[in-house]
Amino acid sequence: MASNWHALPLAVLLAAPVVQAVEYLGVQAAQKLAFPEATAFVPVPLALDADARTQLDAVARPPGARDPKVWRALAGSRTLGTFFVDAVIGKQDYIVYALALDASGRVLRLEVLEYRETHGWEIRNERWRAQFTGKSASDAVRLNDDIANISGATLSCRHVSDGVRRLLALHALLPA
Amino acid sequence: MRCCPPDEACVRRAQPWLGTLVEVALPVSQASAARFDAAFAAIAQVHRRMHPRARGSDLLRIARRAHRAPVRVHAQTFAVLELAQRLWRDSGGRFDPAVSRRGAGLAALQLSRGRHVRCSAPLQLNLGGIAKGYAVDRAVDALRAAGVQAGLVNAGGDLRVFGSDRWWPVQVRAAAMLAPLCIELREAALATSGAAGGPPRLHDPRRGRARRHGGSLSVAAADCASADALTKPLALNPPRGLRLLRRHRAHALRLSAAGRAWATFEAATPHLRLSA
Repeated sequence: MASNWHALPLAVLLAAPVVQAVEYLGVQAAQKLAFPEATAFVPVPLALDADARTQLDAVARPPGARDPKVWRALAGSRTLGTFFVDAVIGKQDYIVYALALDASGRVLRLEVLEYRETHGWEIRNERWRAQFTGKSASDAVRLNDDIANISGATLSCRHVSDGVRRLLALHALLPA
Repeated sequence: MRCCPPDEACVRRAQPWLGTLVEVALPVSQASAARFDAAFAAIAQVHRRMHPRARGSDLLRIARRAHRAPVRVHAQTFAVLELAQRLWRDSGGRFDPAVSRRGAGLAALQLSRGRHVRCSAPLQLNLGGIAKGYAVDRAVDALRAAGVQAGLVNAGGDLRVFGSDRWWPVQVRAAAMLAPLCIELREAALATSGAAGGPPRLHDPRRGRARRHGGSLSVAAADCASADALTKPLALNPPRGLRLLRRHRAHALRLSAAGRAWATFEAATPHLRLSA
C-alpha cells in the first residue's frame, strides 16, 4: 500500500490568513446581461418600515443582510423588470450577487458579482467587515489574472438562496 | 495568491448552482456572454434534474414513486445513477448515496432498459457527491459545442480544464490555516474531498458515521465525474481505491492536516505537474 504513495518533496507551510477575492461582474455589466433591451435603469429608493422588515425577516434573514440596491429596468416607458444587488455573509465568505426579475416577478437571472473567501478570523472582525460596507463593484468586466483556481475550498452558497427568498418577498412589497 | 501566470488572462463568471459557487473561466479572446450562458445552462439542467428535493426533479420522483412502479428518468440522471451503482459496487458498499442509513441503501436500486428506475424499497437519494463532477463535464461539453477551445469550469472545488496546449494553475487546499499546494493541470479534471474550512464529511455507511481522514484527498482524471467519484472509494477503502485509480488511469494527491504531501506519481503526469 505505502509503496503506492510517493512523498512529495514539498511541505505545505503554515500560511498567514489569505483572503481570496474575485470580482466577476460589475453592476452595469450585470444589468445589461439581464436586460439587454433596457434603455434605462431607474433606482428605486427603499423606505422599509418596521412592519415590512419584520415581514422580510420572517421569510429569511441571511447573515449580513442589509437593504439591497434596487432598480427598475425600463425600455422607454415600459417596465421590463426589477434588478437587485444584494450581499450575504456566509461562514467564511462574502458574496455580492445580482438578481433580475421580469415584470411578473419571475427570476430571469442570478449572477455572482463578487466573492471573497476568508479563512475564519477576519469575518468576525468588525473593522475588517466594515471595509466592504458601501463598496460597489467596478462597472467593467474585471479581468482576473492573479487569482488561482482552487480545489478543496468550501465554497458555500447556502445564504444566497436565503437572500433570494428575501428579495422575492421584498419585490412583493415594492410599489407597482 | 498566485501560483503561476496563465498564458492569457481570463474572464470569469460565477453563479450559484448545486449548492455551491460554480465558476467558469474563459480566455479573453474566447469569452462571450452566450458562451458563459451555454455553460451555466448545462449546469442548471443537471441541478434541476438531480436536486434531491426540488419539485420536478428525477430524484424526487424516484423517492416518491419508484418503489411502487418504474420511473422513467432523463438520460443524464440515468447516467449518474449508473455511475453511483458502479461506485457502490466498486467500494464494497462504502459509497452509498442513499439518504436514509436504514434499509437496503443503494442495493434497493434497479436500473433497467428504457431508463427505468425501480426500487425494492422507498429510496431517497442525494447525488451531491457525484453530480457536481458530472455537471462540470456537461458544461465543458457545452463550451466545446459553442466553439470554445480552452477553459475552466469549477463547481465548488470539482473542476475541469480543457485546451490541449494550456497548463492551468490550481491550488489544492488541505486545511484552513495551511498554504495551498500549487499544481498545474492540462486537459484534466481534479476533485478534492475533505478540505479547508471543515472536517471531511464523507459518510461510511458501514460504520454509520462520518469518517475523518484529516487533510484532503484529490483525484485527477480525464473527466470530472470520474475524478469526483474516485475520491470516495479512495477515502473509504484506500487499497481498493488505489486499484480503481489505476484502472481509470487516474492519479491522487494526499495532503495531511500537518502539511505533508503524497502523490501516486513521482513528479508529473502528462496532465498534472507540481508548480515550481
